[in-house]
Amino acid sequence: MEELLEEVVPSEDLQRFERKYHRELESDGWIRIETKFEYAFCLVRSRYTNDVKRGLMLFENLAHEHPDGRRDYIYHLAFGNARLKNYTEGLKYCRAFLEIESNHQMNLLEAYMRKQSDREIVKAMALAGGTVLFMALGLLGMGLAMVRK
Amino acid sequence: MNKMRSVVNKLHERIDYLIEKCPNMTAAPYNYNYIFKYIIIGDMGVGKSCLLHQFTEKKFMANCPHTIGVEFGTRIIEVDDKKIKLQIWDTAGQERFRAVTRSYYRGAAGALMVYDITRRSTYNHLSSWLTDTRNLTNPSTVIFLIGNKSDLESTREVTYEEAKEFADENGLMFLEASAMTGQNVEEAFLETARKIYQNIQEGRLDLNASESGVQHRPSQPSRTSLTNEASPNRDQCSC
Repeated sequence: MEELLEEVVPSEDLQRFERKYHRELESDGWIRIETKFEYAFCLVRSRYTNDVKRGLMLFENLAHEHPDGRRDYIYHLAFGNARLKNYTEGLKYCRAFLEIESNHQMNLLEAYMRKQSDREIVKAMALAGGTVLFMALGLLGMGLAMVRK
Repeated sequence: MNKMRSVVNKLHERIDYLIEKCPNMTAAPYNYNYIFKYIIIGDMGVGKSCLLHQFTEKKFMANCPHTIGVEFGTRIIEVDDKKIKLQIWDTAGQERFRAVTRSYYRGAAGALMVYDITRRSTYNHLSSWLTDTRNLTNPSTVIFLIGNKSDLESTREVTYEEAKEFADENGLMFLEASAMTGQNVEEAFLETARKIYQNIQEGRLDLNASESGVQHRPSQPSRTSLTNEASPNRDQCSC
């Protein structure tokens, strides 16, 4: 799963689909589903966070606009959120998808995000525990210092 | 207060370190000598993901839904006493992914081009897949043609001889295989690797070229100190 999430789209490909997107927007005033989809596909695989966010917006838009392709869009909404480490949001899309279709790819993505978000909880708890411990030690130290005085 | 903050930061780093590094310690950093990049391509429904699954998990995945975008699989194999890690990118066959999955062709050392022996149309489209492969990979990329679903003999629409002739004309390696029974699946993946390895040995493939699809790992890891430390402690790692 890490390899899939870490794979970055070659910038020339991203630029190619971006140009196609803007060309259609300028010449026709609207964008074909296919063009929007291709551009969003590349954006969520970009190395830049803002691109991924933009890709997620386009996929959300596509999910409303083109229900027939919804499974592809919901998968990518989960995928893009996983790349941004927004695991809570990503897991919501995983569950929505898996309620409709049992899917090997989605199972792997869901398992990965679960594991990562559990790790973050453990990390946060350990950190909070550590902070409390050090504050207690600090207070104890101050108390001892005062007693000595 | 500052001291406390620095201690908390250190603790944070330590936890990060344990979480990030410990799982990796269960395996030595480079337990393989080469990495080969593969792609699997072909029409929708020919069984690309099932072939990958059969190869990596040794299981048949029944009711396999259409792949969304790309899937990834990996397995370490052995060729000529060298350990080779195969990194396999399995692309979606649906037309809507055709343009965007072309990015994955770049730098592939091996391309498995799949058709379904029971659906003539998937065979007829091979020339278009081959054109894409030739245009987007480098001349040393090994292309292996797989006629999948060889277990479904009664509904066959493409003969072995015909496909063999197509493969020979285009300089492709060829096998009929079955992701369901597993017949010839290992052979297709392994023969591709053997051919790539042979190309390396004969100097036809430049290891330093970024697009070769092959990475060489020194057999003795460069980070020896880390490995030596990690290996004896492997079983004691508490995470």
